[in-house]
Amino acid sequence: MSLLKVRGVTKRFGGLTAVDDVSFDVFEGTIKALIGPNGAGKTTLFNTLTGFDGPDEGSVLFDGAELVGRSPRDTVRAGVARTFQNTQLFDELPAGENVMVGSQAHQRRGFSAAMLRLPSVMAEDRDAREEAGRLLRLIGIEEWVDTPAGDLPAGIRRLVEIARALATRPRLLLLDEPAAGLNATESRELVQTLYRVRESGITVVVVEHHMGLVMEVSDEIVVLDRGRKIAEGPPRMIQKDPAVIAAYLGEAEDEGG
Amino acid sequence: MNLRTARALVPLVLVAVVAALPLVVSDRFLLKVFTFAGINALVVIGLALLFGHAGQVSLGHAAFVGLGAYTCAVCTVRLEWPWLLAFAAAGAVAAFGGLVLALPSLRLKGHYLAMATLGFGELMTLTFREADPVTGGVDGLGGIPFPDLGPFAVDGAATLYWLVWGVAGLALLAVYNVTSQRPGRAMRALHGSEQGAQACGVDIVGVKVRTFVVSALLAGLAGALYASVVGFVSPSVFTLAASVTFLAMAVLGGTGSLAGPLAAAVLLTLLQYIDALIPGIPRETAQTIQTYQEDIYGLAIVLVVIFAPGGLARLWRRRPRGGETA
Repeated sequence: MSLLKVRGVTKRFGGLTAVDDVSFDVFEGTIKALIGPNGAGKTTLFNTLTGFDGPDEGSVLFDGAELVGRSPRDTVRAGVARTFQNTQLFDELPAGENVMVGSQAHQRRGFSAAMLRLPSVMAEDRDAREEAGRLLRLIGIEEWVDTPAGDLPAGIRRLVEIARALATRPRLLLLDEPAAGLNATESRELVQTLYRVRESGITVVVVEHHMGLVMEVSDEIVVLDRGRKIAEGPPRMIQKDPAVIAAYLGEAEDEGG
Repeated sequence: MNLRTARALVPLVLVAVVAALPLVVSDRFLLKVFTFAGINALVVIGLALLFGHAGQVSLGHAAFVGLGAYTCAVCTVRLEWPWLLAFAAAGAVAAFGGLVLALPSLRLKGHYLAMATLGFGELMTLTFREADPVTGGVDGLGGIPFPDLGPFAVDGAATLYWLVWGVAGLALLAVYNVTSQRPGRAMRALHGSEQGAQACGVDIVGVKVRTFVVSALLAGLAGALYASVVGFVSPSVFTLAASVTFLAMAVLGGTGSLAGPLAAAVLLTLLQYIDALIPGIPRETAQTIQTYQEDIYGLAIVLVVIFAPGGLARLWRRRPRGGETA
């Protein structure tokens, strides 16, 4: 079943069309990768899917409901969580509390209840703490629970952000370059994490530069180049696609390597 | 284990010391100074929440104190309401003022809130001075009765002190509960990364507005207490200089803490009355301090922001932590 239907999404910045009439589907229980050279519009597309930026045209249906026009908050409450290319952790808070903030997406109790220290608030806090511990164990970074996020190594920061996104209890998880800054061991752990996330019934969309990782984990790949979708299909097909090879060779020449 | 017991005892000992003070200090003026310290502490607890936890700056908190003070004065003197009702009205009016100011300005980014509070403060000072029929204009409004809590008459220096510190204590407890639980975590989260907080479903504007309203409410209650303790309100009290003083206390006290700002509020208040506290101090020294008081605060803010962003709180706390310090 198609969990996410992206239809004709277009986003312009002045004269530049960052995302140009992009359509694709993400099927429930799969891992889909979005790849493309730098400036292909991957992050812009991500922002239009998560309420951080409104597309100029097009529609994004999540489980049949329109996401375009929703705030980031309403998007995450609808079940679509995300991470950021530049991790957006709360540096003063320990890793565990960072994950606990993710639980706020589905918590109810607010200001005045907290002020009076109502038992329901305490219970919610306890639940969030337990869930944070469980998620950090799932990802295999429970030993960092009390370390302030600002002191964490880059690789662990990415994983904490994934745990935080999972704490919002998403049905769809969007990861923006989760392997950036990870070493080989950490990348392998990330792959295992992604499999575990998929096993728990969560659909994943991942933007990634790291080709090996993309070819390994994804069920399907969408390739973007200069805002346009140039290919879509399973990894084996994408590897042989002439348009994809041309786009990546072009980038390699531009970067001189 | 012993250390933990000791740490748990510290707040209890402090509460006992604050509560027992009137039994030891018999000087009425001195007791009044400590009462003012309690009123300032109440304002600064709210500011500590706003500035130290949510990272928002208010340059107009004296206006909320003024709103509370004038509301209390008008309700008791002109409308002859019972004191407790006037006290509640003072908090409500200040909180409403905070809401009206916060709703539009918090939707904007950056320092718009600081600018809006500055403008609001000036506007309110002007209003207090010019709205003669209600506020009494430059002459102010006198004859405000002492607090009346039904069976308990609050009219002596000691009972006033207890009432003020009782309210401050309750406010501290309520604010501590906020900072140590979900809302406090949301505040520190959006202070750390607004994008990250949004991605977690934190209602950014909602959290900021609520924080601002609570801090305005506490300032309003402090204003009502001030009016009732002094018995007289005039526009010269609720000025930008007073707002800067409150902010200086919060900044000096440090971010992410309540104990630091509380200590700073008490110390800076006592500094204004240093000649009464230390009888032997040379007249000139005391006068110099009082003359340059606002310059000292301004300088203190600059120095703290540049050299010790953590403020007083960081002196006894080595690393930034969550909200577990009160």
